[in-house]
Amino acid sequence: MHHRTLAAAATAACLALGVSGCVESGRTATTAPAEGSACPWTPEESIDTTARIAWQPIPNADVVVKDLGLLEACMPNADISWVQAASGGDVVAYYGAGEVDLGLMGSSPATIASSAPTNADVDLDVVWIHDVIGDAESLVAKDPAVTDLEGLRGGTIAVPFSSTAHYSLLQALLDAGLDPDKDVKVINLDPEKMAGAWQGDQIDAAWVWDPTQSQLIEDGGTRILSSADTAEAGRPTFDVGTVDAEFAAQNTEFMEQWAKVQDHAVTMIQDDPQTAAESVAVVLGIDPEDVLPQFEGLTFLDAATQAGPDYLGGKLAEDLRTTASFLLEQGGIDAVGTAQDYAGHVDAGPAASVGR
Amino acid sequence: MSITSTVQRAPAPDLTAADTRRRAARRTRVRRLALHAATFALLLATWWLVTRTGLVRPLFLPSPGAVWDAFVRANSDHPVSAGSSRVVRGEQNYYLWEHLLASLQRIAAGVGGGIAVGVPLGLVMGTTFLGTLLEPYLNFLRSLPPLAYIGLLIVWFGIGDTSKVWLLFLAAFPPITMATMASVRGVREDQVNAALSLGARRVQTVWAVVLPSTLPDVLTGIRVATGFAWTTVVAAEIANGIPGIGGLAYLAGEQLRSDLVVACIFVIGLAAIVLDLGLKSLERALVPWRGKA
Repeated sequence: MHHRTLAAAATAACLALGVSGCVESGRTATTAPAEGSACPWTPEESIDTTARIAWQPIPNADVVVKDLGLLEACMPNADISWVQAASGGDVVAYYGAGEVDLGLMGSSPATIASSAPTNADVDLDVVWIHDVIGDAESLVAKDPAVTDLEGLRGGTIAVPFSSTAHYSLLQALLDAGLDPDKDVKVINLDPEKMAGAWQGDQIDAAWVWDPTQSQLIEDGGTRILSSADTAEAGRPTFDVGTVDAEFAAQNTEFMEQWAKVQDHAVTMIQDDPQTAAESVAVVLGIDPEDVLPQFEGLTFLDAATQAGPDYLGGKLAEDLRTTASFLLEQGGIDAVGTAQDYAGHVDAGPAASVGR
Repeated sequence: MSITSTVQRAPAPDLTAADTRRRAARRTRVRRLALHAATFALLLATWWLVTRTGLVRPLFLPSPGAVWDAFVRANSDHPVSAGSSRVVRGEQNYYLWEHLLASLQRIAAGVGGGIAVGVPLGLVMGTTFLGTLLEPYLNFLRSLPPLAYIGLLIVWFGIGDTSKVWLLFLAAFPPITMATMASVRGVREDQVNAALSLGARRVQTVWAVVLPSTLPDVLTGIRVATGFAWTTVVAAEIANGIPGIGGLAYLAGEQLRSDLVVACIFVIGLAAIVLDLGLKSLERALVPWRGKA
């Protein structure tokens, strides 16, 4: 029996060793630090804020900031942690749990967070527009003969529910005179599951983002409409940067530095997309060559532009309210707030402070 | 080694019977191993052929070579793309084995907690009225899908490791408790009575009779619980699960990187098998009387 006891002891020891060798979370440093990971200006050493930031794998300046460690470099004494979220709904839930101070989400979740009943649990300010969604999200149809929404009458359209794409799709359907409940069948499907459903002829079209969007087009799909079209029709969608209102009030210096860093990364995407694409590729785990076309589908705004009246400085609050009245009809929220309510959830302060 | 031992044993005729039996056992083992290897090779060949002929697209089933490349890439420092000066560590800044280790840590903590709570609770529930009282709640908990309440756990315990370990604990402890309870109830009364009539006290019978005879079932319960923990870990790691093999598989799936997803699946499956083999050998060592009492 001795060798058995020995074997068991060895197994137990291996297991114990295996699990006690701790793998620490939140490692950000890669083996070779990227170019441009130093703070582009004199770091602000006086800021010692503790900030928890929710991020999502979306190809915009936020992941560039995360990858290059710019916030950490420009505020060496601040304690910054990054929390990965799977959707904007998740980010709102994290706010509700008091787990994050800042977070990226689509304009639909941001509207939900600013409307009843969710606004009782969270108090968020939209302080940044990470991107304006254009061709990055589009409706791709399987049948090449279909050239407009009318051609999809009676068909099945897949979309991830509660997303900006869902909002754009329903809006486009209504504009085309189609009833989303009767004339077509809209089903909830995660992007990564669409390729399978597409192949099996279970869906006729999908409103989705990359990499699934490119995949479906490669499979012979045709783009009928994109979020650029719905934006033109007066229903723009965005990925926005939000912050807990109380946190923002208590950490104005941090917020100003945060906006400055975001603005720097936006400029980087505009002036040196190759380097920015590498950063995005590292975070998303894909090839930089696949990132560049994804940049094309999004519009990135520098701080001065987004602080202006077309965005944070005025119209965004209206856009949120338009989104809200639509979400009310679709059963996403309980009530639409007043224009002041939504203006109160938009703060152009940090963006306006950049370059001052 | 085998030659010398045969030579040495030759003069002892009474050993040959045992020797023959041992040799036969080894032959069976070799044959079984060969069968396993052949099945595996056949599966691999079919997989290779199916992807090679283009019957299935790489998005749905990547080739064995692509999966191997993804596996190697995930375990090494590599440039972000060919010719780039930017060198990245593994995937998401962790090597694949670190992702695996992080998940194993969570599983160990969850199942460890499950054992610490489940075994005593099962003993108490099996011997007292608490069993009938608590069993419905245990069954309720056992049938809940983890995805249904991970959101609640995040609200209660945050998005760090605590909520994930709690989830794994909640998945792991009911099967252990159930196994212990059922086993305690199944202890043969005459064995306890025999110990009592030999002068043992009530408490002593627990140590000397009840525990040893429940141990085999408890260990089976632990094995089942570990299996549950593996299936739950992916759900636990969808939210902020890096490092973690489930979190990595999820993120890779989001980016349609089927090669990496399949590599993760293989690693998860193999790790689960190795862990189960370890528990099995632990079982053999701790309860050699299993099936003999």
